[in-house]
Amino acid sequence: MGKMIELENLSKSFGELEVLKSISVSLEEGNVLSIIGPSGSGKSTMLRIITQLEKADDGTLTIDGSTLFESIDGKARYVDLVEQRNILLKTGLVFQQFNLFPHFSVLRNITEAQMAVLKRPREEAEEIAMSLLKKMDLADRARSYPFQLSGGQKQRVSIARALALNPKVLFFDEPTSALDPELTREILKVIRELAEEKMTMVVVTHEMNFAKATSDYAIFMDGGVIVEEGEPNELFGNPKMERTKKFIRSFSE
Amino acid sequence: MSGLLVQMLEGTVTSLKVFFLTLLFSLPLGFVVAKGKMTRVTIIRWITDLYIQIMRGTPLILQLIFVYFAPFYVFGVSYDRFTACIIAFVLNYSAYFAEIYRSGLQAIDQGQYEAAKVLGFTKAYTFFHIVLPQVIKNIFPSLGNEVINLVKDTALAQTIGVAELFRVAQTSASRQFSTFPIFVAGIFYFIMNYIVSRAFAIGEKKMNYYR
Repeated sequence: MGKMIELENLSKSFGELEVLKSISVSLEEGNVLSIIGPSGSGKSTMLRIITQLEKADDGTLTIDGSTLFESIDGKARYVDLVEQRNILLKTGLVFQQFNLFPHFSVLRNITEAQMAVLKRPREEAEEIAMSLLKKMDLADRARSYPFQLSGGQKQRVSIARALALNPKVLFFDEPTSALDPELTREILKVIRELAEEKMTMVVVTHEMNFAKATSDYAIFMDGGVIVEEGEPNELFGNPKMERTKKFIRSFSE
Repeated sequence: MSGLLVQMLEGTVTSLKVFFLTLLFSLPLGFVVAKGKMTRVTIIRWITDLYIQIMRGTPLILQLIFVYFAPFYVFGVSYDRFTACIIAFVLNYSAYFAEIYRSGLQAIDQGQYEAAKVLGFTKAYTFFHIVLPQVIKNIFPSLGNEVINLVKDTALAQTIGVAELFRVAQTSASRQFSTFPIFVAGIFYFIMNYIVSRAFAIGEKKMNYYR
């Protein structure tokens, strides 16, 4: 099992605001990493840089052996656009707000990128989509449109949409924050099943119990730095830093 | 009576020419203008904004006169009045369509672009397959309004002597000392706009399969 993600000294500012201050993270293939922390701590920005929705200011990132950007003279130097795109296809991202395409049916939400980006023939794309929908317990909704689905169903479709492209690593940006508790459980179950299949995943979440039970490694971020990291049992059960304690306590109240 | 009808049908053909040519050019051009107004390049944004302000802030009838006569007074050349009429209409309607497009583009959730990017769609694919269909659905009612206005605005082409429907009606009205031809013209405009609004209603219904 090799390294899936090696992120070193990532820095990012929005104007005057330093959002990430020299963050380093690494993740083994087949492992699940949980990132917790208050809003504004920089966790989403980190995910967005790895999935190429934002540009890094400085640092080095290697995904599955391919380097996306490298720190040269204090600046993140990106590889060329073709390589950026190759690396993009190694990653998948599941959004808090699902971001399904409202004008496409559930099935087409999952087949569109397979056909347009990976150039899979329609039959193959639909076959893959249907088997993913079956896995998500949504096979009967293939012809529905997103507005006809519940939040939990939408999120499962968006997970299927990401999985259809066979990403090497899947990122979740607060996947349950827009859902009520019952629907949250149904999404967490899906992520847990993916973890059992040894899918490499990074989950930004406020679900402490889930993070503790499912992840192999956990990080607590605050103010753009990693305050504490370690085995989930350690981090959640026996946090060392005052800030971590306070944050975790605020969730168990 | 049949002579009048033939004349009015001829006038209607001219009106329809103005109508379709204006749509043909201003629908795509409006998009360019909308993009100009949304660009980060300040000077382009400033110029587009001024253009839109002028087009929306002055009467179309004045713009028609300006477009037709300005080249004559400035360069001493005159040109075909029908061409001038189309240019003026296109300039005017592009500004209105641009504002409609802009509102439609701004209503698209940023998450749509982000999802498309993460899934690996190219920018062009994202625009034509993800964004544009949703924009069209969003703006369809306002677009319908504007197109109905255009049908009625074609009557202004007579200002610079284009023999469209309303001018034909007025001419025969004064020749016959009767307002009857004007009423007939009214029925013609009504029928044209009835067709336009039915077409837009059908289009709206067709796009109603999603929300």
